[in-house]
Amino acid sequence: MSLANPQERLTVSGRRLAGLVSLMARHRVAAVLGFLLIFPFLLPYEALAVNILIYGLYALGFNMVFGYMGVLSFGHAAFFGLGSYATGIAIVHYGVPWLPAIGIGIVAAGLGAAVIGGLAIRTRGIYFAMVTLALSQCVYYLVYQMEDLSGGENGLRGVDVYDLNIPGLELTLIDPLTKYYFVFAFVALAVWLFSRLLASPFGAVLEALRENESRARACGTDVAMSKWLAFVISGLFCGLAGALNAIHLTIVPIESLHYHTSGLAVMMALLGGMGTFFGPFVGALTFLMLEDVITLVTVHWQLFVGALFVFFILFFPRGIWGTLLHWLSR
Amino acid sequence: MIGGYPIELLALQLFTGLALGSVFVLLAVGLSLIFGLLTVVNFAHGAFYMLGAYAGVFFIGYLGNFWLTLAVVPLAVGAVGLVVERWLVRPLYGRGIDYPLMLTFGLAYVLVEVVRILFGAEGMPFDAPDSLMGAVDIGVGYFPAYRLFVIAATAVLVLALWLFLEKTSYGLVIRAGARDGEIVRVLGIDISRVWLVVFALGTGVAGLAGVLSAPMRSVFPDMGTTVLVEAFVVTVVGGMGSLAGAVVAGLLVGVVVSMTSLFAPAMAEVSMFALMALVLLVRPQGLFGKKGLMG
Amino acid sequence: MNDVTTSAEPIMRAESLGMRFGGFTALKDVSVAFPAGELTAIIGPNGAGKSTFFNLISGAFPPSEGRIYFRGRDITRTPQHRFARLGIAKSFQITNVFPQLTALENVRFAIQCMSQRFNVWTPRGRFAEMTERAASLLQMVGLDQHHHRLAMNLAHGEQRALEIALALACDPALLLLDEPTAGMSPEETTAMMDLITSLAAERTVVLVEHKMKLVMGISNRLIVLHHGELLAEGTPEEVRANDEVRRVYLGQGDR
Repeated sequence: MSLANPQERLTVSGRRLAGLVSLMARHRVAAVLGFLLIFPFLLPYEALAVNILIYGLYALGFNMVFGYMGVLSFGHAAFFGLGSYATGIAIVHYGVPWLPAIGIGIVAAGLGAAVIGGLAIRTRGIYFAMVTLALSQCVYYLVYQMEDLSGGENGLRGVDVYDLNIPGLELTLIDPLTKYYFVFAFVALAVWLFSRLLASPFGAVLEALRENESRARACGTDVAMSKWLAFVISGLFCGLAGALNAIHLTIVPIESLHYHTSGLAVMMALLGGMGTFFGPFVGALTFLMLEDVITLVTVHWQLFVGALFVFFILFFPRGIWGTLLHWLSR
Repeated sequence: MIGGYPIELLALQLFTGLALGSVFVLLAVGLSLIFGLLTVVNFAHGAFYMLGAYAGVFFIGYLGNFWLTLAVVPLAVGAVGLVVERWLVRPLYGRGIDYPLMLTFGLAYVLVEVVRILFGAEGMPFDAPDSLMGAVDIGVGYFPAYRLFVIAATAVLVLALWLFLEKTSYGLVIRAGARDGEIVRVLGIDISRVWLVVFALGTGVAGLAGVLSAPMRSVFPDMGTTVLVEAFVVTVVGGMGSLAGAVVAGLLVGVVVSMTSLFAPAMAEVSMFALMALVLLVRPQGLFGKKGLMG
Repeated sequence: MNDVTTSAEPIMRAESLGMRFGGFTALKDVSVAFPAGELTAIIGPNGAGKSTFFNLISGAFPPSEGRIYFRGRDITRTPQHRFARLGIAKSFQITNVFPQLTALENVRFAIQCMSQRFNVWTPRGRFAEMTERAASLLQMVGLDQHHHRLAMNLAHGEQRALEIALALACDPALLLLDEPTAGMSPEETTAMMDLITSLAAERTVVLVEHKMKLVMGISNRLIVLHHGELLAEGTPEEVRANDEVRRVYLGQGDR
């Protein structure tokens, strides 16, 4: 019995790779965390590793709505950005310690998701992507206007959390490896919660909505309410990613709220494999590594990213991880 | 005097809103047309608008004539649309409504970056022709001639489009195809050719909107992003797939934005979203939308 | 929960139902009552308004006119997702299951909808009783060999049976079936009719059927719709003897 996505359901065949993948699917949390634990030692510098953690988490949260429930949102930048700004503003303007500040960021993102989701679920089908995009752009303009709090065009500067002030531990985020494991601790908790949620009855509701909305309704699912709840939970995860990003960068760029940040979640989730547990991290890793390499060569890296995305839509819509699973399960 | 402003100023601001709204109308009409027949939400619509503006810059330098440019740009942008439909969008039909949407989203990145490579990241100047420079007295004050021209051009184009869809046999095929592709196929018409034409038509109109608004708004590679969001807002307000909805909502949004920028400049950008939120609360299917469309 | 009584008290009642789509009147002033415990079949030629009527009483959309009562309670505007917990279940005309879930997961989801709708915490594996009940429902519809097959890989008749199991998951007092034998082979049709007969022994069943002779043998009551209006109702014998019904159906040439 497996509660994972059907694509992740594999019989242990003679092939070693298939066996490994199947093992990973059964212990998905341990597999993700085990890999991420040794991850910074595989990369040239830790900042890239931290980026991949944060954007992997962001894409993971997005994937709940897109991959598992099958609803395409183009407004998740709002939750990433609100998480960033709320955490940043709490630290910069109100001197809140980092832990409650992260909590504030998550709550702000959740509230944003509650409002945007509440409006967007009133529409149906294809409108959803358009409405979420428009409303997140509205958040962008609002934050842009609130210059005293948000720093406007220049972004919010001075989100300086160096000393973690944990009694008994002398930890400082100036050390890049410490910063990595600091972020990792939150990502680990989030990944575990996410997996737990997928395995819960509500996880089954998500799958059912993706598979067949009208049948789910006839079975007694309150479709609008369930979608809204999934949207808010997804927003909470993205908010945490945003909060961590504020602390990581020590600034909150206004681009966090931009249309392109929403698009980033779509691209990463699809590139990795939508509706798969590992996909978002695979997507974030692929995307950010490519960006890192291509920008060394040319400033026009968006050309390659756009073309790669189009290529995947046309030929590998299951994404990297999804395609791998598909091949192995045949 | 209303709210401390003289009537004349308000009237001029209303006309400014109509000129702005005209561009919205053109964008939303193209978007709606493509969606209505192909059920494709074209996320590259803003990029085609941007292509139109740059094609304008290119052709006016090459041809030296504004009017000729105005005729050539929609054809050139529509030709790009043809290629995109035939080779990129068509393989995705039948694969779910989200795929063409995401594909066009990725395509927009490519188009913007290609333009950046060809023309540079800096903004480009684009002047209205001499004959449309200056201002005209419209009874309540002087109003820029070019903006009046944009309003008139939009009116003519929408009328022509309406006549084409309602009165010609090809328009009938398009309208029939929007309701039921099977019927058109049974009649022995190659529906995929109709899709091709409609996609080209929609993107061509977006290109025209781009070149028309070039003298009013600046020309730069990312100009399509904001416009895409604006076009979506108009479409949600008006109701997807409705020509009348696109026209009314486009003008309405233009006027709301322009009036807000007079009374509360800081809220100008946010005002259209407030309008959209209101419509979603009161009439989620949009002003002219049909209930249950694409449920 | 199940009504085994055959008293005259109707479990569901429709009062002058009407439905217009734009300028087209699909249904006009139809008043009928479904007595508890009986198997009622709604029949009529193509375009008679059967599907519209079915959609109205199963809550797919609200009627333009009229009211619907379930156990004396007005459910005309009740959202469809509440129907299952009221005790009304339906199957669709076009097979409607969760294609990428296994048969067992399909049914378990439908069972879960009754009690654990917004539980985001407890692992699904803890609800062993749901799995057991799902297994027993699969057995009831003859799918006990197919627990772990994806629904999309089941044969057409098996998918229809799975859909019945989904409908039974809420232990409905009233079971609404829309052309349950559509597209089935003769053997599959016979099996389905047997299943329906056995289900009708324990609950009220309303079924829409195009083919009149299929339902003549198994139903207690027939309702005949024609051009969106109620043409006749009564026992199969009464309906068979009705001149207007004969005219409508004979005019069709067969059945």
